[in-house]
Amino acid sequence: MIEVIQTYWVYFLIGQFPDGPLGGLTLTIVIAAGGLLLAFPLGFALAIARMSPWPILSWPITGMVYVVRGTPLLMVLFWAYFFLPSITGQKISQFSTMLGALVLFNAAYLSEIFRAGIQALSTGQFEAARSLGLSYFAALRLVVMPQVMRNMLPSLVNQFVSTIKDTSLGYIIGLSEVSFIASQINNLVLTKPTEIYFALALAYFTLCFGLSRIAFWLERRLAQDESRSKMHRPSKPTLLEQP
Amino acid sequence: MRYARFMTSFILLATLLSPLAKADQLADIKKKGEIVVGVLGTDEPNSFIDPATRKIVGYDVDLSEAIAKKLGVKLTLKQLSVAARIPELEQGRIDLLAASLTHNKEREAKIDFSLTTLVTGQRVMVRKDSGITAVSQLAGKKVLTVKGGTQEPNIRKAVPTADVVTFETSLQAFIGLQQGKGLGYVNDEVSLFNNYGKLGDAQKDYVILPQNLSIEPLALGIRKGELGLKKLVDDALRELEKSGEAEKLFFKWYGPNSKVKFDKRTFRIDSDKVDG
Amino acid sequence: MAFDLNLLLVGTYHDWLIQGLRLSLGIAGITLVLALPLAMVVALFRLSPVAALRWLGVMFVESIRNVPLLAHMLFWYFGAPELLPDSLKRWLYAGNIEVLSATVALTLYTAAYMAEDIRSGIRGISSGQFEAGRSLGFSFLGTMRLIILPQALRVTIPPLVSQTLNLWKNTSIATIIGVGELMYQAAKVESSAFRSAEAFAFATICYLSVSLILTGLGLFYRHRFPVRSA
Repeated sequence: MIEVIQTYWVYFLIGQFPDGPLGGLTLTIVIAAGGLLLAFPLGFALAIARMSPWPILSWPITGMVYVVRGTPLLMVLFWAYFFLPSITGQKISQFSTMLGALVLFNAAYLSEIFRAGIQALSTGQFEAARSLGLSYFAALRLVVMPQVMRNMLPSLVNQFVSTIKDTSLGYIIGLSEVSFIASQINNLVLTKPTEIYFALALAYFTLCFGLSRIAFWLERRLAQDESRSKMHRPSKPTLLEQP
Repeated sequence: MRYARFMTSFILLATLLSPLAKADQLADIKKKGEIVVGVLGTDEPNSFIDPATRKIVGYDVDLSEAIAKKLGVKLTLKQLSVAARIPELEQGRIDLLAASLTHNKEREAKIDFSLTTLVTGQRVMVRKDSGITAVSQLAGKKVLTVKGGTQEPNIRKAVPTADVVTFETSLQAFIGLQQGKGLGYVNDEVSLFNNYGKLGDAQKDYVILPQNLSIEPLALGIRKGELGLKKLVDDALRELEKSGEAEKLFFKWYGPNSKVKFDKRTFRIDSDKVDG
Repeated sequence: MAFDLNLLLVGTYHDWLIQGLRLSLGIAGITLVLALPLAMVVALFRLSPVAALRWLGVMFVESIRNVPLLAHMLFWYFGAPELLPDSLKRWLYAGNIEVLSATVALTLYTAAYMAEDIRSGIRGISSGQFEAGRSLGFSFLGTMRLIILPQALRVTIPPLVSQTLNLWKNTSIATIIGVGELMYQAAKVESSAFRSAEAFAFATICYLSVSLILTGLGLFYRHRFPVRSA
């Protein structure tokens, strides 16, 4: 096994980089981070649309969120990868396909997190801001959002963990993220499947467990702050909670 | 609102960037100075990762390199899954396919093919202790192979009652056979011999059944109607054949010193016709 | 190519897809039946007064939740069975090892998530209730079974429904270890008939319908049995 690690560890971490495309564990992290960060604006927009007072806006968006959350990510990937380009004529690489699917998925989940966060904030905050003469959007942006963001941090870190795990599906469309690379190594070595898949699991575990510890720590710190400031803490969204 | 404006401009940008009309691909490649070739990277010896250099190497890669050289452009390899090969080419995400691709009549409706670059049989490997000596004995048995290639339809045609289980890569099917999760493993002859070569001491426990499920002419895939590119690719291949380079490449990857151990080459790169 | 609805309604491809749907539903059903009791046990471990049991519970949950299901599947199919003795291995491989491995991976994965939902449901019940139960002479398990769990159930059902929804979606990942479920059959139709739109549309509609039914059930339950704040 030591021989396998010595031969393949660089490949496992960075794929063919720098002579070829980036891959391996680094690509997993890059694509997960991109998939989460790029989903922020869309997630915000969806959350605000869902809570808007106009049913013409909130109903279709709510429907869309349910549809996205009711479809396996794998299915979305298949559509995006094999089928969508033949309609739109767009050329999309495996990387962008994965990124696009993750952004769409994350936006739907983030909208739920944001919504819970905004709803948990007492409406007094919003009303106070409005009565001070701020516009609807200014009140959202300057008063509500900063507080919501802070409260949402632990949920966001957890969402990052989910996203890292979701990137493993890139394996199926031949994206050379860490699961694909591990499989490829397994194919070359042939005789050590248990060890190699265990190493893969360990890599994910180290990354995700580390992050979830950070989320836990944040949660505790925020709870301490709150007991001082007496602010309401958002409850996690319960229905449709994501793995 | 800022985000709304961001989204609108994003969508606008995406629309502007979409290609309005299909240009001639050959001109495109020359303009970019780069040809993107789709390879498997999981099918030794056609294309696979060399652990020492972390680069994809193999017969398919060497052919692609020769074509890029002829075009005077840089070669960029893109790794694909077996099932994604034809969609990737059709949608123009790659310029050329060099991915253990079988040239057959069904596929001619979707894409064009270069001259045949390799002729290989498709056969079945079994464990000796299974007692199976002929393909027909696989009836009702579990047979493993790769998803999205010609292997699955071919074994179904040969043994309609076989229980065929498919995986993303052919080597996963091979591991399945070694672990005893199926009785047979179907693949192109060259890949089977290579896999067999990798078994080392365990070779005595396996046998490749003599019967060919089919004879597979492998070729490079070109997008339908790209005649300029096809002519250039075919010319490059003909030159390789004439200079003896093609034969050298064949023996480099499939010859007696390779794991495949073919001692002669029974075909020439000179035709792009296949039997129906 | 026009969309060929007929392809989905009759013939071989229809049969393949229906077969896939059945297997997906079957796997999800069996996994649910196995995962629920396991999750209950793990949740109790995590709340148990014995530190060693608590640690076991934490290890189970964390080690499973921090690794993608895809890696679990690969491990349980290509890795774990190889550690078994030969005779057992042979016996297992003669059966449908693909479905078995997928079910094991899904059961453990789902149970880890459900355990956390059950645990937080139980923790939501005020500790006074628990202490009252204990002081009335009930054992730890007795208090749990007779006093805490019935109340916790009401809070826990909605998240458990949503975990079931995740489980249903997650069955699609079994395709990578050759399980002939819906996704696998859709891909098979795609590669045999070059009918990607029809095959994927069928699979998507199946996944969505079941998901939306589950979502509806969850919403109905929350509406019908709102959480009492006591």
